[in-house]
Amino acid sequence: MKISATRAEVLNPLQSVIGVVERRQTMPILANVLLAARNNRLSITGTDLEVELVASSEANVQQAGDVTVPGRKLLDIFRALPEDAKVTLTTEGDRVVVRAGRSRFTLSSLPAAEYPVVEEIHAQQTLSVPQPEFRRLIEKTHFSMAQQDVRYYLNGLLIEAEGPSLRAVATDGHRLAICECTLEQPAKNPQQVIVPRKGVLELQRLLGTDGAIEVAIGTNHIRAQIGDVRFTSKLIDGRFPEYSRVIPSSPSRLIEGDREALRHALQRTAILSNEKYRGVRLSVKPDLLTVQAHNPEQEEAEDQVEVNYQGDEVEIGFNVTYLLDALAAVDGEKVQIGLGDANSSCLIRADAGARARYVVMPMRL
Amino acid sequence: MAIRVLADDLIDQIAAGEVIERPASAVKEIVENALDAGARRIEIDLERGGVALLRVRDDGIGLSASDLPLAVTRHATSKIASLDDLEAVGTLGFRGEALPSIGSVAKLRIVSRDAQGGQGHEIRVDGGKVEAVRPAAHPPGTTVEVRDLFHNVPARRKFVRSDATETGHILRWVERLALSRPDVAFRLRSGARTLLDVPALADDEDAARRVDAVLGPEFLERALRLHHAAGPVALHGWVGAPTAARAQADAQYWFVNGRHVRDRLLMSAVRLGYRDVLYHGRHPAYLLHLTLDPRLVDVNAHPQKLEVRFRDSRQIHDFVFRAIERTLASARPGPDSAAHGATAGPTGTATARALPDAAVLRAPAAPMQSAALPFPPADRRMTVAVPATATAWAVAEAVTAHDAAAPLGHAIAQLHGVYILAQNAAGLVLVDMHAAHERVLYEEYKRQMQGEVASQALLEPVCVSLKAHEVDAVLAAADEWSALGFGIERLSPDSLAVRRVPAILGARTDLAELLRAVARDAIDETGARHFEEPGHRLLGTLACRSAIHAHRRLTLPEMNALLRQMEATERADQCNHGRPTWTRLTLAELDQLFLRGR
Repeated sequence: MKISATRAEVLNPLQSVIGVVERRQTMPILANVLLAARNNRLSITGTDLEVELVASSEANVQQAGDVTVPGRKLLDIFRALPEDAKVTLTTEGDRVVVRAGRSRFTLSSLPAAEYPVVEEIHAQQTLSVPQPEFRRLIEKTHFSMAQQDVRYYLNGLLIEAEGPSLRAVATDGHRLAICECTLEQPAKNPQQVIVPRKGVLELQRLLGTDGAIEVAIGTNHIRAQIGDVRFTSKLIDGRFPEYSRVIPSSPSRLIEGDREALRHALQRTAILSNEKYRGVRLSVKPDLLTVQAHNPEQEEAEDQVEVNYQGDEVEIGFNVTYLLDALAAVDGEKVQIGLGDANSSCLIRADAGARARYVVMPMRL
Repeated sequence: MAIRVLADDLIDQIAAGEVIERPASAVKEIVENALDAGARRIEIDLERGGVALLRVRDDGIGLSASDLPLAVTRHATSKIASLDDLEAVGTLGFRGEALPSIGSVAKLRIVSRDAQGGQGHEIRVDGGKVEAVRPAAHPPGTTVEVRDLFHNVPARRKFVRSDATETGHILRWVERLALSRPDVAFRLRSGARTLLDVPALADDEDAARRVDAVLGPEFLERALRLHHAAGPVALHGWVGAPTAARAQADAQYWFVNGRHVRDRLLMSAVRLGYRDVLYHGRHPAYLLHLTLDPRLVDVNAHPQKLEVRFRDSRQIHDFVFRAIERTLASARPGPDSAAHGATAGPTGTATARALPDAAVLRAPAAPMQSAALPFPPADRRMTVAVPATATAWAVAEAVTAHDAAAPLGHAIAQLHGVYILAQNAAGLVLVDMHAAHERVLYEEYKRQMQGEVASQALLEPVCVSLKAHEVDAVLAAADEWSALGFGIERLSPDSLAVRRVPAILGARTDLAELLRAVARDAIDETGARHFEEPGHRLLGTLACRSAIHAHRRLTLPEMNALLRQMEATERADQCNHGRPTWTRLTLAELDQLFLRGR
């Protein structure tokens, strides 16, 4: 392989894929990126066996070929080169030589044939999704995904296509987030897949603000071409919990209030909640919500917010982090909080027709 | 076949089968008689492990000529006279079985002179046949001589082990008796060898001297003294530091009103007291005297009186358990903490891990590299995070100023990301930071659990499959689980649904695994009091997972904060698994390594 390119022609695709290259990996080759040069294009692949990113750019290919080189070292070299540098990359034996002006770097290489790439994902259907909508789905839900839970199917985001709606659902067993958007062309057949946490975060980083993307969904992979980057992620093989059962359809007590006022009251009170499990107590009576917290040092905080509520008095404990996450994600100035009794779940949404909804389980304090 | 009344000597032999199991039992019975007779000095001589000859000489009140035949008669005793006496028996013996039993299986000779009689007499029994009393010369007191033990019981004789083994058994019994009565002098000789020779302690002398003389100094060095009393019941003695626990349960001494016992109830109370400070599979060392009104305990429950029955066993169990738990809990790092007699020799593990010549090991082909570098390459594993010199000096000065307030001293460095090095007035303190932090967290969690318990409801119940009996074990303690913040229901005979969990657990915990582990433990634990266990087990697991792990870099203030936390934490000397959390090298020990000051 031999190519010549500008610094940016290599650095840009490299920066797009480097996020998936783990600093510590079990297989040495996973520290490398795959450089493939042909048809006057350079494509760079990075993978951690779960998420694969392929970014490409124009380059002057003098001799086509594939080669792998250590990803982070290549990135550091290109970052350190002067901005207007002209670079050549050449394979020499089992090494790769990078030349730029009077600089020369000889990098080790591992056989390109051994680099794990996902060729064909056997898509069952392809959806056309507007980028801002897809991004919104992820932003509104990703924080509720579990992390390193033994219930592995919770360590990801459920993407569900059903007729004209595309839905994202995340839960860690204590709280749940759900958000929906409408597809221009309805899905041919209903499909549910779980995208692993890392894939979700990469996807969120890549998604832009306009234009639609094609999302191909197979049985084991999900793939999308976003600009110059092709995103492919494995899917989590597991059954996501029946989320619809846990979303209260008509909460018996509905509180309506100013979102920011509620959020600030909770943030202030949270300071003196138990550091370990962050419990706060919400008590409502007509038109008034009181938030209380105390910690093992016997310090206490109390805050009151005016709300719109007609009903009997009730007191329920919650993990304040869950409430704050949900309140930060809800759209609009107003927010509705639906409560049942001290043992039943709490629903948070902008209004009755909101497409993003949050369920938080109570905590007995 | 017709039923007939057995001959007297056969009855005696049958009784002997229960009471006199081996030479050691004979020694025990005879020495106990001597103690009951008020002896101040007891001398025991053995030949061939006590089988050929076993002689016990005391200076007690002695027997008159008329008492001698009675002494070897079954169920004849001077120690009790009525049922009331039996209920309040204060002597070691009371059944009147020992001497006739011995007489029926050996050649027995008793020579005695009582204080008033002025003349000594002897009586001989051979295989149950009693000879006439004859005058004999003897100082005040009694000598009991047993020859050819089991000579007429070949079956029993077969079970007698080697001389050394039998001598060992006898020695252990005499040790126990010597530990129970520091006011009596004991001497045990086997042939010409003196195995034990301890003088009588005066009333004002510390019983620790007897323990020291019998068990050697190591036991006391690593034990905590204990003294608890509640109404008519008192417990005193020593409990070994958990770090001094042994692989065998061979340093455990229980005395109830001066009688050595191996009682299940008491042993289980001790085990519980040591709960969560003992390394898995280790046995604590202890020496404990329980004294209580003889009416509250029935000693007539076991042929050799090794087991006793308490009138209120539950209360005794809890009393012992609490006393031990409290004593162990009070152990925390202090200037005179005896728990840590660290004796790391120059061949300790420290040297094994000493820096290999890294420069040589990793020198690549390029010659210019290794030759030019006189210092080893910086490898994270090999560096000691030493702060700037100025700080080190400041620390050194601070140590002298604040030492009284900080027994664990002040951190000076972190070693290999695993140990904290600290200096105090005595020398160097080494702390295993993970183990120490684990204990600190565990105690903190336990404290939190005593207050209000926050419990997080789950969106979807978590289903846990267990064996049916494990499910039963978990549900049997349903109230305790719910007190900890769990909501658990039976889903099917072999599965559970968890609907709420303690809030401090966090979302990440593997509930199924936790429940399984706790359920398994609940079943293993046969002792009564396991209801705090599920919680403790759970908190222990939690603490272990949350504690700082090795290879985490700590700053000096962080390390000092951990040291201060340890000083304030109960049972800080061990982690939850019973491993020690810290040790020290005194200046004297360090000097020794370098042959300084010789």
